[in-house]
Amino acid sequence: MAQTQTTATAVARPPLTAFSWKSAGIAIGALIVFDVLINVYERLYAFSKGLDYTSADYESYWMGMLFAELVLEAVTAGALWGWLWMTRDRALDRLSPAEELKRYWALGLFVLTYTYAAYAGASYFTEQDGTWHQTVIRDTDFTPSHVIEFYQSYPIYIIFGVGSLVYAMTRLPQFAKAFSLPYVVLVGSPAMIFPNVGLNEFGHTRWFMEELFVAPLHWGFVTFGWGALAILGTWLQICPRVLALVNHVYYGKPIQSPAEVMKDPQSSVNPAACAACAM
Amino acid sequence: MQYSQVDAEAKAVARKFDLVVIMSTFLALIAGFHVHQMLVAGDWSFWVDWKDRNWWPIVAPIMEITFPAAVQAVLWTRFRMPIGATFCCLGLLFGEWMNRYINFNGWTHYPLNFVFPETFIPAAVVLDIVLMLTGNWIVTALVGGELWGWLFYPTNWVMIAPYHLPVEYQGSLMSVADVINYMYVRTSTPEYLRIVETGTMRSFAGGVTGVAAFFSAFVSVCMYVPWWLMGAHFFGSTKFFKTYESASTEVKHA
Ligand SMILES: [Zn+2]
Repeated sequence: MAQTQTTATAVARPPLTAFSWKSAGIAIGALIVFDVLINVYERLYAFSKGLDYTSADYESYWMGMLFAELVLEAVTAGALWGWLWMTRDRALDRLSPAEELKRYWALGLFVLTYTYAAYAGASYFTEQDGTWHQTVIRDTDFTPSHVIEFYQSYPIYIIFGVGSLVYAMTRLPQFAKAFSLPYVVLVGSPAMIFPNVGLNEFGHTRWFMEELFVAPLHWGFVTFGWGALAILGTWLQICPRVLALVNHVYYGKPIQSPAEVMKDPQSSVNPAACAACAM
Repeated sequence: MQYSQVDAEAKAVARKFDLVVIMSTFLALIAGFHVHQMLVAGDWSFWVDWKDRNWWPIVAPIMEITFPAAVQAVLWTRFRMPIGATFCCLGLLFGEWMNRYINFNGWTHYPLNFVFPETFIPAAVVLDIVLMLTGNWIVTALVGGELWGWLFYPTNWVMIAPYHLPVEYQGSLMSVADVINYMYVRTSTPEYLRIVETGTMRSFAGGVTGVAAFFSAFVSVCMYVPWWLMGAHFFGSTKFFKTYESASTEVKHA
């Protein structure tokens, strides 16, 4: 394993405050508050204004929300992903170890926020949709629980998932030049749940089999949901490099240079790449 | 003094990364496992009158040995942590309870004892213990998979037994679960009542559940193998695709 000797002495240590939970606390805290408010909105207006698609109330309380959220999501996605791309690091091969370690921490918090949003979308709001259908069926594809589940909670986790991937690709040598199989699956597979709504809604519009939640029509969601398991491989790629960075920054052990990692990221996940890792 | 401070800082940073890995993995597994479970076995999970002795002990275990096998493949092989199945099933139970309590009960007002979920925790602990004791995933598939299917119904029996008590209601014999079903009308009932308890199984000396569990255990064994392999070689893969540079160099040399 080719290892460039970076000087073991005088490696700058990042201050401990660099590893703060604050940004994830704010992001996830905001998402939780938002989700609670959305639940309150549903409790107030789903049964009272959301049962008749042709009514004026429906138009203002639910279709209005649908259009507003779709616009906001498109703008947010474009702004966040665009900003991450425009501010990309163009000198990644000269990245200092301390800075790289700080960026892995930021990436970790980004992924953590993504997984919370994925939990809210794929677990909480998806079963909530089951609660809704098995109580009232529906008269439109844009029934209240769908305005929340499909067109709000799914895009939110996609924004964070793709955002975290763009962050990694623009700021970390491991992901800068080569696609990571597990990371792409972790983000791309659950993201496909959203396009799969097209199949789902067409099927329900055509066959109306809302009474059975395990209907085969729903199995597209299932298959794409499996992609969440790829978080295992994603961490298996990231952890050896993080450990190597910790060992380098705090204990002065040798480490692969960013240029080497960019050229051959596979070598950075080989446990032998940090042979002297034991802490 | 100086070294010990650096050492402490390094350990603190490493601990923080550990926490991020554990929490994000837990949340991702809830998301994936729960959406899988609710759309392949959800109706049996939602309603106590669907928790029958014929199809429920077949469908639920064979569909839910999936994620545990895949996660065991990584947690055991890479970290020697014998908790993969329990970790998954704990997450699933959390995801289910959040919605049963807040929405099925809090929003649409079904009583909780109508909509509580099944549990896989006992079977998952056994599956993890088999893997830990044998250290061999094929043996775990064979022995653990069989136990997974067999244990599901008995370990849930304590919760559902009261709802299987017979009652006479408006002149006909039915279970307590059936009576609750008639009290709380919903969209998913009638078809299922026609499907369940048909066939000749029930005439085999009342052995419906035993045969169902036996069949379920067999399929669980068969399901464990591909899911372990997918966990080990796909979801737990550490593959990077070739960089653009190296791929184009190879083409030039070819
Ligand atoms: Zn729906």
